Amino acid sequence: MSEKKATAFQVGSDKPFLIGLGVLGGSYLLIILLMLLADLVFLDYGDKPVVGPELVKHGKYVDENAEGVPIAVEPGRNYQFRKGENESGLKQDDRTITKNGLFEARSGKVVLIPSQKNKPITASLRPEVRITNISIEKDLVTLQTDAPHGLIWGTFIRVTGADQSGWNGVHEITDTSAQQLSFTLPPDSKPTNQLNLSIPNPLIQALRSEDIQFSIKLSLISCTLTTLFSLWVAVPIGYLMSRFEFRGKPFIDTLLDIPIVLPPLVIGLSLLILFRYAPDWLSERVVYQWPAVVLAQFMVACAFAVRTMRVTFDQIPQRFEQVALTLGCSRRQAFWKVIMPQAKGGLLAAGTLAWARALGEFGPILVFAGTTRQKTEVLPTSAYLELQAGRTEGMLAVSLIMIAAAALVFIVARTLGMKRIFA
Amino acid sequence: MIVIDKVTLEQGDFELNAVDFQLGKGEYGVLMGRSGCGKTTILEAVCGLRHVTSGRILLGDLEVTDLPPAERGVGYVPQDRALFPSMIVREQLAFALVLRKLPQDEISERINELAELLGIKDLLDRDPGKLSGGEAQRVALGRALAHRPSVLCLDEPLSALDEELHEEMCGLIERVHQETGVTILHVTHSPSEAKRLAGCHFLMVDGKVERMEG
Repeated sequence: MSEKKATAFQVGSDKPFLIGLGVLGGSYLLIILLMLLADLVFLDYGDKPVVGPELVKHGKYVDENAEGVPIAVEPGRNYQFRKGENESGLKQDDRTITKNGLFEARSGKVVLIPSQKNKPITASLRPEVRITNISIEKDLVTLQTDAPHGLIWGTFIRVTGADQSGWNGVHEITDTSAQQLSFTLPPDSKPTNQLNLSIPNPLIQALRSEDIQFSIKLSLISCTLTTLFSLWVAVPIGYLMSRFEFRGKPFIDTLLDIPIVLPPLVIGLSLLILFRYAPDWLSERVVYQWPAVVLAQFMVACAFAVRTMRVTFDQIPQRFEQVALTLGCSRRQAFWKVIMPQAKGGLLAAGTLAWARALGEFGPILVFAGTTRQKTEVLPTSAYLELQAGRTEGMLAVSLIMIAAAALVFIVARTLGMKRIFA
Repeated sequence: MIVIDKVTLEQGDFELNAVDFQLGKGEYGVLMGRSGCGKTTILEAVCGLRHVTSGRILLGDLEVTDLPPAERGVGYVPQDRALFPSMIVREQLAFALVLRKLPQDEISERINELAELLGIKDLLDRDPGKLSGGEAQRVALGRALAHRPSVLCLDEPLSALDEELHEEMCGLIERVHQETGVTILHVTHSPSEAKRLAGCHFLMVDGKVERMEG
């Protein structure tokens, strides 16, 4: 044997450790990606038909001997079919329809086929609403429908297939009754005899809504203000905490962390109570007004900015300032000429963090600023109001707007950061 | 000239009591001592970066004990060099001069002079991150000399260099000393390095500085 064992001592394989790291980290990353993907996929980007009342009486018993549940339909009319838990499809003449969506009725009857007999039917079958009359008076269009359309005032409708200009496009519904709806057209539009209606996807609904437009605007402005204020405060505090030793420093350190540790809702409540002691002229202008939104966001976001700036300054050795001082700088000059140029990356990180934090802030705003539409409504408030109204899709649409805004700021910050590194 | 007169310093648990020593004008002083004995602390006190509890520090004819570092007329080269990462070499050399609001042509003239002296002409437009150890040391020296300080404080200037560079830098610092006539206080823990350098040698033991003869 020419090859001898080098040593008797052997160390275990690194593989399980490395795989463990990969699996734990990877699964978290996967969840993040899947979560975002699910949001994007779940939203139905296509238009939906305007449909009338439900034709299937839910919970209807299926006769054991029958082939399925017969429903009377009108030949030539479009129907929207959606499978429930107990349907394999729908039969019309000899054809079986298994896909959800619109289909055209050929004869006077369709049959819902249960996958299990003797169990209630839960499918949905609704006729597409047809327009029976179009009238226009002083640019106000009133449409009559042959069935209740279920649309509500303030939502948006898409018109297609009209042969006059000004008609096609998305319009806000200004008035509705069960079988009638109105919207306005640009001045001097000519009457048309034909048009099709559909409901645009929730994202368009959200972006078109004046309430949500306001909330996007307020969110962008308040987050930017919050970020600027936060950095304005975080830079001096971070520098002070990083460079100077003084009595009571541990106490102040703890104090700075309170907004991070405290439930945000409590911060909102504390602000609300604090402003009870403020003079009337001040609290009238702040509480339940837009400044309350900024203040509520600021209280939380700033704490994160302070942390980030403190770490940033901690990582810049004091040596740089010392050299700058011997070269002829005052402390102020050393700070601006030598330290701040090195803290740019941290400043950017703190700003991004504060912005993102402010964008998502909801609890303190709810308590301290309220949820008044067109006044103190920011994007999280919009999402909450959509949820309250039972519109999950609307909430999702608002969430997508927030994701887009956050992604935009993140990408801009990263690009700026990259430039700094590669320049 | 550097005069340290009964200087007492406190820094946490560390204390230096009544340190005394003198270095004549234009002399090259080498301050030796073990790691952690307080050499750097003394250097920093000369530069004005440490608060002196009692005693006096004189640079030239000027009592600087309570002056801010900016007004002491010292050049400081720390052990880690601390070149400003956000500035190219030229800006580092110009830094002290720009602060003194010198006209642009005087600044460029001085930069060329320094670059010539230190052999860093080709490095003027480089980022400090892309310099080798020896190059960075030259730039740090140049930055500290730009405003023609009366005293140059070097903290372990040769410790991070390999043997060949070590010799080269020794030669360079000596040349700088001869050509500028600046008073140099050079701190080192290495007796062999001290032996290599001419000038007055000081040894720091138990918080006292003694002048070594010979």
